Amino acid sequence: MTWQLFQLLVTAAGLTVFISAVSIMIALVLGTIVSVVTLSPKPAFALAGRTYISFFRGVPLLVQLLLIYNLLPVMGIDLPGIVAAIIGLSLCTAAFQAENLRGAFASLPRGLVEAAEMAGFSAAQILRRVRVPIAFRLALPALANEAIFTLRASSLVSVVGVVELTRTAQDLASSTFLPLQLFAAAGLLYLLLSWTIAALGHVMERRMRWGRV
Amino acid sequence: MSFDIGLIWSRMPDILGGFGLTLVIWLVGCLAGIALGFLVAVLRRNVAGLNIPLAAWMEVTRGTPFLIQLFLLYFGGPFIGLSLEPITAGLLGFTLYGAAYFSEIFRAGFAAVPRGHIEAGECLGLSQGQIMRRIIVPEMAVLVLPALVNMIVLLLKETAVLSIITVPELTMMISAIGSENFVFVESLFLLALFYWAMVEIAGWLGRQAEVKLASFRPAT
Amino acid sequence: MTAAVIVKALRKSFGATEVLRGIDLEVAAGDVTCIIGPSGSGKSTLLRCIAFLDQATDGYVFVQGEPLGFAPDASGARARLPDARVRDVRAKIGMVFQQFNLWPHRTALGNVTEALTTVRGIAPAEARERGLAQLRKVGLAAHADHFPAQLSGGQQQRVAIARALALEPQIMLFDEPTSSLDPELTGEVLNVMRALASEGMTMIVVSHEIGFAASVANRIVFLDGGKLLLNGTPKEVFGQPRHPRLEQFLETYLDRGAAILA
Repeated sequence: MTWQLFQLLVTAAGLTVFISAVSIMIALVLGTIVSVVTLSPKPAFALAGRTYISFFRGVPLLVQLLLIYNLLPVMGIDLPGIVAAIIGLSLCTAAFQAENLRGAFASLPRGLVEAAEMAGFSAAQILRRVRVPIAFRLALPALANEAIFTLRASSLVSVVGVVELTRTAQDLASSTFLPLQLFAAAGLLYLLLSWTIAALGHVMERRMRWGRV
Repeated sequence: MSFDIGLIWSRMPDILGGFGLTLVIWLVGCLAGIALGFLVAVLRRNVAGLNIPLAAWMEVTRGTPFLIQLFLLYFGGPFIGLSLEPITAGLLGFTLYGAAYFSEIFRAGFAAVPRGHIEAGECLGLSQGQIMRRIIVPEMAVLVLPALVNMIVLLLKETAVLSIITVPELTMMISAIGSENFVFVESLFLLALFYWAMVEIAGWLGRQAEVKLASFRPAT
Repeated sequence: MTAAVIVKALRKSFGATEVLRGIDLEVAAGDVTCIIGPSGSGKSTLLRCIAFLDQATDGYVFVQGEPLGFAPDASGARARLPDARVRDVRAKIGMVFQQFNLWPHRTALGNVTEALTTVRGIAPAEARERGLAQLRKVGLAAHADHFPAQLSGGQQQRVAIARALALEPQIMLFDEPTSSLDPELTGEVLNVMRALASEGMTMIVVSHEIGFAASVANRIVFLDGGKLLLNGTPKEVFGQPRHPRLEQFLETYLDRGAAILA
């Protein structure tokens, strides 16, 4: 395998990073909202949240991606594959992140909320200033782990026509007859990216050194 | 949106065939993956020279996409004299992939067995093999059960990826029927609901098994 | 003059168990009231109901004449007050918890200033000044930038007291403030409370520290089985002849405290 081929893979990895990073961000925001909705005292809200988590965790990402990619044009929405890919990846990851955060919210010591209530915080202020930051810290290892899953799962967006790392390796493999080298090199790039996310997670854990609750 | 019941009915053999293959690959792959994962965990624990190479292998498997691993095996295999049918390549890839996760679960389980229980066995004069068989493995098995069940359920969904290397499992069969008959979106909806139901049922069965086995949970 | 806190016919049940069986209590401004009693007598629940952290099943709590949580409506029925109203009345109360409940993601100073900026809308610089003044008062100005996890239990509880005081409450509630501390750390917390009492703060303290109760409080309330059995000055309550239930409580739970009183 030549240096040129490898450079093509590295360039394609840039798109993989972009798709994954955007999806991870959207999924964190959406996942937080879903987990809060799931913990709502209103049964209808809680049911809606639980159903969301159950559905998007219960259906293979590949099927979700194909569905969104093919459903949007039927509904008259014409979007490029990359948008469908980001939507699919975000919706699915959000369900997993919501589940991680739900556990963290549930294990949050009740007294921390009571202290805020006594200090006069409104429910919204308690959520923003106390519950969310502490739940994020508690869930951080799981959130980082899920982000790595998202990166790897992004390889599936190759089936909806997004020419990211996996698809590029696939295209090059069929034109050069070097599948072994190309897929191994692509795998190596994924591995490096996984390690980068893991390292970022550790850095964040260290910076939030207030640690245990 | 309309879905023709007659169409489903007329293609029932194909649908059932795909469903059957999904189930077979999932169950056989999980069983083989658990066995292999357990072996890896035991070897990493007990054979010093194997720890690092096995750890590296696990790290690579867990750090790269399943799809890349399948491509490497299916498209790269023939170049090193390993030409496999899609189903064989799929089952092998699926097993190896699962084994990496299972081995990590077992490793955590081994680490969670209290040191004192092993020492108690040593004091009673049990051999290392006896301690492994009679103390560590039974305790560990109960400790890892929830994680194991969770992983098995997650892997059910991963079988859908095998359709990309043309393994004729459920996703491949239903989307093929859908595109032949111009009901692609409808068939994908049906497929999504199907998987959703299967995952919920598998999760429910897993929880039943956990409850049943929880009575054996060792005191901590 | 209105009493600082009035508790009227307060009842609280958890499921089928009635923990408070009709409590009436008046706390005058400037009083230091210690609530004592065996475990399960309902003393913490009483304090939490006063703060409206637990909702009483029946009865009322008035803080400086204003109802907290529930009030009789026009027809005399018991009605829940809106959250905003609850917050207004609660602003008169500061609470210190057994488990400190400091927010782990905020430094000692951050814990003290958080509500000043978020709830009271005070500018950060001013809040910082006030926060440091409160920390100085509890002897922890040097620890302003420490996170709770970096402080001892006694220090954490002193920060928690500073956090409550920063909001300038009229009444301070203490729920077993020393019960989760190592014995050698209780002194520093009790000293801060003693100083607060000498400044004339109205305090209601649930505590196992009988020595503290006897020396600092001017009212002792003895709860037993969800009922208010005794309510008087330390001399009246602890002096001879003692109520047999109190005698039994002092012997069973606190031979240490009883020795101090002898």
